Amino acid sequence: MENLGALAVLLAFCLSIYAVFGSAVGALKKKPFLILSAERAVYSIWILLTLASSLLVYALLTGDMRLAYVAGRTNHAMPTIYKFTAWWGGQEGSLLFWSWILSSYSAVVTWTNRRKFRQIMPWVIAVLMSTQCFFLILNAFVESPFQVLAVGKGVVAVQDGRGLSPLLQYWAMAIHPPMLYLGYVGFVVPFAFAMASLITRQPGDAWIHTTRRWTIITWLFQSCGIILGAGWAYAVLGWGGYWGWDPVENASLLPWITATAFLHSVMMQEKKGMMKVWNMALISATFLLCIFGTFLTRSGIVSSVHAFGVSAIGKYFVAFIAIGLGACVYLILSRLDYLKSEAHLESIVSRESSFLFNNLILLASCFAVLWGTLFPVITEAIMGEKVSVGAPFFNRVNIPIGLFLLFLTGVGPLIAWRRSSLESLKRAFLWPTVAAVLLVAVLIVAGIRHFYALMSFGLCLFVAATIVSEFFKGSRAIAARNNMNLVRAMVELTHRNTRRYGGYIVHMGIVLMFVGFTGAAFNKDDTVEVGMGETFRLGKYEMKVREIQDGDTPNYMWQRAIVDVRKGGEQVGTLRPERRIYKASQEPNSIVGIRRRLNEDLYLNFASMSQSSSDKAVIQAFVFPLVSWIWIGFGVLFAGSIICLIPPKVRLQYARTEVVGVVQKHAKVEK
Amino acid sequence: MRRLKSRFLLAALLAATLALGSTPLQNPEVRRIGKKLGCQCGCQSSLTECNMLQCHFADPARAELLRMVDSGESEEGILKTFVDRYGKAILREPPTEGFFLIGWIMPFAATAAGALFLWWFVRRKLRPEAAAAPATELSSEEYARYRDRIEKDLAKLD
Repeated sequence: MENLGALAVLLAFCLSIYAVFGSAVGALKKKPFLILSAERAVYSIWILLTLASSLLVYALLTGDMRLAYVAGRTNHAMPTIYKFTAWWGGQEGSLLFWSWILSSYSAVVTWTNRRKFRQIMPWVIAVLMSTQCFFLILNAFVESPFQVLAVGKGVVAVQDGRGLSPLLQYWAMAIHPPMLYLGYVGFVVPFAFAMASLITRQPGDAWIHTTRRWTIITWLFQSCGIILGAGWAYAVLGWGGYWGWDPVENASLLPWITATAFLHSVMMQEKKGMMKVWNMALISATFLLCIFGTFLTRSGIVSSVHAFGVSAIGKYFVAFIAIGLGACVYLILSRLDYLKSEAHLESIVSRESSFLFNNLILLASCFAVLWGTLFPVITEAIMGEKVSVGAPFFNRVNIPIGLFLLFLTGVGPLIAWRRSSLESLKRAFLWPTVAAVLLVAVLIVAGIRHFYALMSFGLCLFVAATIVSEFFKGSRAIAARNNMNLVRAMVELTHRNTRRYGGYIVHMGIVLMFVGFTGAAFNKDDTVEVGMGETFRLGKYEMKVREIQDGDTPNYMWQRAIVDVRKGGEQVGTLRPERRIYKASQEPNSIVGIRRRLNEDLYLNFASMSQSSSDKAVIQAFVFPLVSWIWIGFGVLFAGSIICLIPPKVRLQYARTEVVGVVQKHAKVEK
Repeated sequence: MRRLKSRFLLAALLAATLALGSTPLQNPEVRRIGKKLGCQCGCQSSLTECNMLQCHFADPARAELLRMVDSGESEEGILKTFVDRYGKAILREPPTEGFFLIGWIMPFAATAAGALFLWWFVRRKLRPEAAAAPATELSSEEYARYRDRIEKDLAKLD
């Protein structure tokens, strides 16, 4: 069976090479049949990789302990769902998963465009398949998931496997990697369209229109992946953080930031025909950072340069990234003539320049994260001495950048295209500014002195007020004209221009998430040793350990503290923080007890039993103000992104013709 | 046999091992300074936050930290002792001296460079006639009327 799997991967590898050359040569020599056969190779690769993946999943589910991958990632007692998720729980499997998603995307793209874009499609396929080919090299020759445990010339099976890391045996962790991968891999598609349009010297920006929906969906997958990771860290790692700036987390954030910048700056190209080179650069950067992210996660370079030297996979990634970077730079530079801007900037105070600022700040934060992640590697290489760049550094650098970005979130969308008069600025920003200043004053009076927290709350209200006033003004006009109530008018308004108002809702989600992040300035924590029946306090809460239970399941043993929580003398609930030790891996894990409320979370971690007296439990208690707003904000962001994807009721068309420098004609055509 | 193994594991879980004294993390100073030091067990978190059961690094390091805090050593002294023992990598942020200063300056320098570039770019792209005086063949009244009209039309966009 493992031979069949390995053979399928090998065949897929051969086919991917064929698809690259078939479609490229077919396009150059104008041979439609060659192109068609390359398209069929794309479907065949999907079938072969689906077969290989099914075989691996079958081996995981049935516990075929002859396979090194199965023995390393599962054990018999593990719940079936985690046996399935072990597909992406380890190096070899997750790389196969990457390949499989890419092949699925490629098949979908090839199928849906089989009668469209005949000129660029062969090159789209060539770019997609080059990436596919790279990953298949890894699957087939470097990190094969189908290796068997062998002694001498015989295949051996172990009694039972080591099991999936207990940290990964959690629901959010089961879907976090697929979401991130769907996002990572998804950006290969708009990248392929961009490159194909460069190669064929397409004059327009068809690639942007074609891939707009695709880009938003993959961006949404990436966002889901990142937030699920944060939710997982919060609920599983036991120290209450949702973001630790660890290299792997940073790896997922980097392409998300450039993708966000891209989503904004393509609007400039769609509406004004500007920033064409920049958009090409951004989509290339996003693609390369997706590959780079996989490289960071998979090669272990950040833990040490030496680990990188040992890892076989790193060199392949470096080579691929170098080739990709070279190709992107060459293509963009050699086709600058086709990327000329169609319009000019007319004023510093305009939507155009606010987009430029937005891009600058997003890229600054991207650079700061990338720099921080790689700095230890750089110092080790240059100074021979390793330093750490941990959460304190990233917080210090990124908080000011993030706040400025929040400010632009409020300002940008309200500044008119071309130029804004002072009067219109005043109209748009007077009340939001007043509200923000008032809020900051009230908070100072209430005793809050934390500078960033004050700034953040003020800006959150500022942005929220601008968004609400946009909705209100628009829907009031519609309500008056069409004689409908305000809520109905608001739905109508959103439906007429889903992109704009969906975008506002996404911004609102970001504001709510910032409220949640800001809560971290007021975290409280304590660590106590308590015996049964003893109470301890944190903030407004009084907690009493009623009982400590223990038990056993086939997969792990557990020990649980039953803690009664009182607030203001009243019993408000019972938390059950738990510790587990997994039998196969002998690794511990904690399942924290969280009382989630909108104003604050009470978070208890059962750290261990006391080492001085064995009947006392060590409990770490935390109060995390406002943290729930991060998850709520993400819900809003999700809803907003979905709205962006709904086709608008009124189709907007922007004719980008210039009329003698006085006015640019924007024709609004209703269908 | 299996049962015996279970018992053994449970004993490990209960962690009634050598009496090492009370849990160091109870001390708020230990928690505060511990956040500045990275755990070296490979968990990527701080000494305070490493959550491994009987971590071979964090546990003794916290006990040491508590001893130092109890004996009244200053924070700088404590951090220095740890750096001397484990190298600069134990600090969770790079030192603000010498070569390592680049690590701190670079993000801001890059942002500033980006901003300068943007300034240059905007200046270059700014259409000269936009900044120039209004067209002379229009009377100022007419011009104002046209401008109002354009502003109104533009406001209706999007």
